[in-house]
Amino acid sequence: MAGTLFFYTLSAVLIASALGVITARNPVHAVLFLVLSFVTSSVLWLLLEAEFLAVVLVLVYVGAVMVLFLFVVMMLDVNVAQLREGFTRYAWLGAVVAAVLAAELLAIVWWKPDGLPMAATTTPRPADYSNTEMLGTALYTEHLFAFELAAFLLLLAIVAAIVLTMRRRPGLKAQDVSRQVAVRREDRVRLVQMKAEHDT
Amino acid sequence: MLQAYLPVLVFLGIALGIGLVMLAIGLVFGRSGTDAEKLSPYECGFEPFEDSRMQFDVRYYLVAILFIIFDLEIAFLFPWAVALDSIGLAGLVAMGIFLTVLVVGFIYEWKKGALEWD
Amino acid sequence: MMGWLESIWQALSPLSQGVLISTAYIVPVVVVIILCVAYLTLAERKIIGAIQNRIGPNRVGPYGLLQPFADVLKLLLKQVVLPSRSNRFLFLVAPLLSIVPALAAWAVVPLFPGFVIADIDAGLLFVLALTSLGVYGVIIAGWATNSKYALLGAMRSAAQIVAYEIAMGFALVGVLMASRSLNLGAIVEAQAGGFLNWFLVPLFPLFIVYFIAGVAETNRAPFDVAEGESEIVAGFHVEYSGVAFAVFFLAEYANMILISALTAVMFMGGWESPFAGLNLGWLSAPGLHWLAVKVAFFLFCFLWFRATFPRYRYDQIMRLGWKVFIPITIVWIFVEGAMAIMAVGPWSSA
Repeated sequence: MAGTLFFYTLSAVLIASALGVITARNPVHAVLFLVLSFVTSSVLWLLLEAEFLAVVLVLVYVGAVMVLFLFVVMMLDVNVAQLREGFTRYAWLGAVVAAVLAAELLAIVWWKPDGLPMAATTTPRPADYSNTEMLGTALYTEHLFAFELAAFLLLLAIVAAIVLTMRRRPGLKAQDVSRQVAVRREDRVRLVQMKAEHDT
Repeated sequence: MLQAYLPVLVFLGIALGIGLVMLAIGLVFGRSGTDAEKLSPYECGFEPFEDSRMQFDVRYYLVAILFIIFDLEIAFLFPWAVALDSIGLAGLVAMGIFLTVLVVGFIYEWKKGALEWD
Repeated sequence: MMGWLESIWQALSPLSQGVLISTAYIVPVVVVIILCVAYLTLAERKIIGAIQNRIGPNRVGPYGLLQPFADVLKLLLKQVVLPSRSNRFLFLVAPLLSIVPALAAWAVVPLFPGFVIADIDAGLLFVLALTSLGVYGVIIAGWATNSKYALLGAMRSAAQIVAYEIAMGFALVGVLMASRSLNLGAIVEAQAGGFLNWFLVPLFPLFIVYFIAGVAETNRAPFDVAEGESEIVAGFHVEYSGVAFAVFFLAEYANMILISALTAVMFMGGWESPFAGLNLGWLSAPGLHWLAVKVAFFLFCFLWFRATFPRYRYDQIMRLGWKVFIPITIVWIFVEGAMAIMAVGPWSSA
């Protein structure tokens, strides 16, 4: 009973904060609503006993991705009028994407294809059940190939990010710490023997 | 398993309560009364000028994206380290390949100068 | 009397019983943490005073022992100034966002044998997730204030996490490879049997990286660029006064104690005794006293660093994180992996 109540409260918070993301006028508020929706969905996952995914959602999305989002939004002076104009122009595209997404979700819920085990278990796991270990075992035995593919995807992302945004400013004089540290006395100091000067 | 999380929830509540009580005490018992100068942002005695938002270099985004990619990589490492016993040598080698691929990416960033912060 | 209480207890639902029991555990822990914070501030002023050949506070109470209480009283009675251009709601939410993770992370720290408030399996991940949330307080404070110094502080803070969080994560993976468990209690137990079994020994480079990254995580000198009082006045909390400032202050010091406790738990055996198995009475017995000694040692290091090192510039922090710490941790993970294959070191025993 308490569990059901908890679930519906969380779902309500999640939906409200998701609405907040798209209705907030201030972009920083929108990002903060998004943070709230990530945190609530993480608790929802925890209710499904997906412990690892729940914590990683907070760790990666809330702790890293959203911090950078927030940072970018904070720094940019977003021009709201310009955004409004863009909204009406691309509204039809947004509607199409939303319709496709909704159709896909409904299809999964109603058709329940054989491959997807829906609501497989509702019995609580014992206290010593390690979700992380189970996930690791499955990932690194059955799904090894997909895992190695992920490595290449991440490599691709690294290369793409560098190729797309890397630019060098010419004539930059930066400090090179490793060269500074590598300097030896002989490189900088020259001892000169000379006769004492007399003022005559 | 979920029972173990109840104290966490209670602790979050208590921590929030402590913060709220402290703020409330300050707002109720603290001095009040003020003027416009006191409330204006501190800028070393100058009148505040311009909005404080500013533009910044695209370079920051690059480091930020690299950061997120490596964060994801670490998320892969956690279940691996915990399951080391049950996945055996194959698992170890698999992670060796995964890390090697990413180290290649890391060396590429380094050589390209993406890690220089200037 | 007792029967009456017991009948009330029986009438409660299991959920409310659970809530009451956890509250009974949590309140003393929180009180002790807050007292530790109070005396840590005094210790900081005394120790740094001694390092700089000064006396430090000695007026309030014997040896200045009542100084923290005088400070708290003063902060409580000061005015909370809400700057005119600020976003008032977020301005007041920001200190809450920094205090909640700083305290709540203690839920999973094992304090003495068999005692941890929340014995959750993913304890280590939980701590990492909560500590990574601490940055929100700083960033939101910087933005909500709408002052240039505060915004610069927030910006520096975001730049800083980019530099050290990866290295911190890799260091924790190293600990996991040695302990094979995310549960902090299990990590402590994996280090039982004297100081030679502490993860400090096989994971020494990771220990150094983790502790330095921890200093950066708490925004302490020499990584206090977000605050930088000599450059950007006080950075993100330039406009915070009275009790709103006190909450930030409490969070910062609670975080220092937390990082010290975590370093002790993960690398120095937590509540385990270094002389375990030697039969020396309380010296060889595991317990809270050993955790306290280790935490005190790391806290002393925090203060020592602050008195010794000049502040890092943030391109230097970037270099330290990406070009020094990350390569060290990756190499050490490969070393651990190789040792696991060849079955040497503590990894073969599992």
